[in-house]
Amino acid sequence: MASKKRIQQALAFGLFRIVSLIVVGILFSILFFITIRGIGVINWTFITAMPEDGMTAGGIFPAIVGTLCLMIGSMIFAFPVGVMSAVYLNEYMKDSWLKRFVSMMTDNLAGVPSIVFGLFGMALFVNKLGFGDSILAGSLTLGLLSLPVIIRTTEEALKTVDDSLRIGSYALGATKLQTIRRVVLPIAFPNIMTGLILSMSRVSGETAPILFTVAAYFLPKLPTGWHDQVMALPYHLYVLTTSGTNMEAARPMAYGTAFVLIVIVLLFNLLANIIRKHFGRKVKMN
Amino acid sequence: MKRKWFKIIEKGVESVLFTSSLTTSITVILIVIFLFSEGIGLFFSKPIDKDSIIGISKQNTVSKLSSAQLNHIFNQDLTNWKAFGGKNDSIQLLSINNIGDYFAEEELGSSFENIPNKINEFVQKHPGAIVSFSKTYMPKQFAGKLLEINNVGVWEFLSGKLWYPTAQPVAQLGVLPLILGTVLVSLVAILMALPLSIACAIYLAEVANSKIRNILKPLIELLAGIPSVVYGFFGLIVIVPEVQRIFNLPVGETAFTGSIVLAIMALPTIITVAEDALRSVPRSTKEASLALGATHWQTIVRVCIPTAKSGIAAGIILGIGRAIGETMAVLMVTGNASTMPSLFAPARTIPATIAAELGEAPSGGLHFKALFALSIILFIITFGINLSVSYVKNKNKSN
Amino acid sequence: MKKVVSIVMSLVMAGAGVVNAQRVVCKIKGSDTCLPLIQKESETYQKKNAGSSIMVTGGGSGVGFAAILAGTTDIAMASRSMKMDEKLKMNEAGKAYTEKVIAKDALSVIVNPTNKIGQLTREQLEGIFTGKITNWKQVGGEDLAIVVYSRETSSGTYEFFKEHVLNKKNFGPKALLMPATGAIVQSVSQTKGAIGYVGLAYLEKTVKALKVSYDKGKTFVEPSVENAKNKTYPITRPLYFYYLKSSEKQVGSFVNYLLSAEGQSIVLKEGYIPLQ
Repeated sequence: MASKKRIQQALAFGLFRIVSLIVVGILFSILFFITIRGIGVINWTFITAMPEDGMTAGGIFPAIVGTLCLMIGSMIFAFPVGVMSAVYLNEYMKDSWLKRFVSMMTDNLAGVPSIVFGLFGMALFVNKLGFGDSILAGSLTLGLLSLPVIIRTTEEALKTVDDSLRIGSYALGATKLQTIRRVVLPIAFPNIMTGLILSMSRVSGETAPILFTVAAYFLPKLPTGWHDQVMALPYHLYVLTTSGTNMEAARPMAYGTAFVLIVIVLLFNLLANIIRKHFGRKVKMN
Repeated sequence: MKRKWFKIIEKGVESVLFTSSLTTSITVILIVIFLFSEGIGLFFSKPIDKDSIIGISKQNTVSKLSSAQLNHIFNQDLTNWKAFGGKNDSIQLLSINNIGDYFAEEELGSSFENIPNKINEFVQKHPGAIVSFSKTYMPKQFAGKLLEINNVGVWEFLSGKLWYPTAQPVAQLGVLPLILGTVLVSLVAILMALPLSIACAIYLAEVANSKIRNILKPLIELLAGIPSVVYGFFGLIVIVPEVQRIFNLPVGETAFTGSIVLAIMALPTIITVAEDALRSVPRSTKEASLALGATHWQTIVRVCIPTAKSGIAAGIILGIGRAIGETMAVLMVTGNASTMPSLFAPARTIPATIAAELGEAPSGGLHFKALFALSIILFIITFGINLSVSYVKNKNKSN
Repeated sequence: MKKVVSIVMSLVMAGAGVVNAQRVVCKIKGSDTCLPLIQKESETYQKKNAGSSIMVTGGGSGVGFAAILAGTTDIAMASRSMKMDEKLKMNEAGKAYTEKVIAKDALSVIVNPTNKIGQLTREQLEGIFTGKITNWKQVGGEDLAIVVYSRETSSGTYEFFKEHVLNKKNFGPKALLMPATGAIVQSVSQTKGAIGYVGLAYLEKTVKALKVSYDKGKTFVEPSVENAKNKTYPITRPLYFYYLKSSEKQVGSFVNYLLSAEGQSIVLKEGYIPLQ
């Protein structure tokens, strides 16, 4: 009798082990496929030159610059607002219908598809507020996209700060604001940073929100201000894959762009993990 | 003095923080307002251009047509008024697109001032005439009578099978193939991802030793962050030709290909959430089961999974939500044919439609409103999914 | 923290090495067909005129027209002429515009290289693309299902093909709508039963161009620059620039460059048909 159960268990566990290896294998083979074909394309020219000759030669520098601008721009909006929201929600707000409502709204915003953000960003920032296709409109749209994630991770980070530390601070006569500024935030800081870094990584890969708010096919010069359009890596990969007269010749550039995108995600995740391990306690992303 | 000053600053900061916390709620409300104000406007518009009027000859006995019938006329599928209960007259179309066939551009005037007269001429000459023009160019004394057209109906919109939003002069706005396409691609994706991700989650949470888990878990989280264009790129280059080859299909861009790509994208999401749910099953519960003589496997099946049921369900629902809202990867691999979908044929999803068509829709026009109406549908679906996640999570809390 | 962020942001935007305070002088949006040509022209133009800057975006002729109506672009490039109702909208908005033909294009019908069929009449093309003919054997080929590839509705090529080859009938609902011409070439080269339509400049060895007959089968002509020039190839179309009369000063120089001998030689080199 016991051996039947044992066999059942061994079969099940063995099957699951294989399935897990298959899953990880699939995901990894995608990465390897792109890496092998993309890494050969990467050289100094690729990273620092403008695209030439119908996107079949030269580099992807403006797309890299554009993506960096959007990452920083979106965080300028999302980070302060997100952290402040989380601080208020976690430190000030009492459990009430309002708090539950705000939490629910935050969760709902997290689930809105990225194309709806793009549509909304276009309707509000580009059309109604008249910013036009610009870094400003794109950053605001991407900022709204990242807001729920930053709020959630910051809230989790604040929750891991032991309450006894807050109480101790009050006991010493500090006000609520002082406690937050000098006790809670510094302790939660590494985990908050993790959320920031992971959000930046996500923003670097989003295409749908920037389609109608900022992305351009080809720009002759780098952007100089908030009102300029930019090229961006994910959009660049999309156009390299679907447009252009000489798709075969542009293919290596596409592999290179995809590889750069993967490297960005890899680096940022690594950075977040290092910060998490060395400075902070574990905080979940979702 | 200083105390008072501090208090004012503190109050000030607190209100700033309070305002920030309302940002997400305001955003959701704004999204709803924008989507609905533009999208609902669709059902108060006629399926022809905002200022368009359709007129027929005074002698014509027909007075009202549906947009489907109008489409038959303008597609030249039906060419005689008899088919609509009118007289035996052949239908003569005159519209913005073919007025050049009947009159030279000089006759129309340098800024089109002669068009109204030419319209009247045409309607009086041809008893079977039907003309379609913008309000500004219709003659003040129209020699024919105006044809009544119904507004775009909600049922017509939701159940129509043809999506030709730019057809002239009557647009065909039927979104059923788009809704079905979205649902088909997403559901099949989740069906494929489900067993794999649950198995993987169980392995990571219960079976794998901590060394393996510490390597695999971050790796899977990393893979959740890969942008969707990269998956779409891989799908277009590798999966599309392979699907075509393996299943011997006429074309590789199908709903099934889209499902495969979406399944791969949904895997990390479902795995991480389900694994977290399984890990949060209290040790005491597991140990009690083992103490009663159950094997590890039996414990998992009969204790852990039921306990973690709501967390796992939340993960699945989140995966579905991600699949339904995915735009770029689907746009690149499903072929975007706006026909009633079948698994191994090309399909068109709602997000892909919006992404592909929004650029060309003039702001405020009929096509623009139709795309907003589509995004309302998408928003309602994903909102419903989010509400069910919240509901499931709350049920868990009360357990 | 904020100070650091704004410093980093301005550094990034100052451009690593390329400090150029010039604002974009000319925005061009629209036709996917024209995109490779205009991008090449703008590259060479900018090399000659160092202070200038031209920004090119695609999306389809429809996108260009919507943009010029909304005022978000200086030039709308198009592979079809403005539809009457677009002209009326511009008129109603009070925007006087200039239409200039800058080059010509031969619209080629392509099939997979393994397809035995080498020529079709316009009537057969109409039947195939509207979905009435569904198998290659119905037009003399193998027993293979026809897979129709088309552009999205925003494309001028789509509208042109619908108006001139399909006689204004709608494409069949089973047609696969691809976001850009390059995707059509890619898919047709990979799919045995495929048929699609692309501008002449997009022809590659990986696809086969069909000969077309507009006189019910008496003469079949293949798409090429010569056949387009001597008007024997029936599916040729002008490529347009539309810009507001008020933007004349801003865009005039680039438009003239396009129409100049050097600009037209680039047209020929890129696979389009120059204006003579």
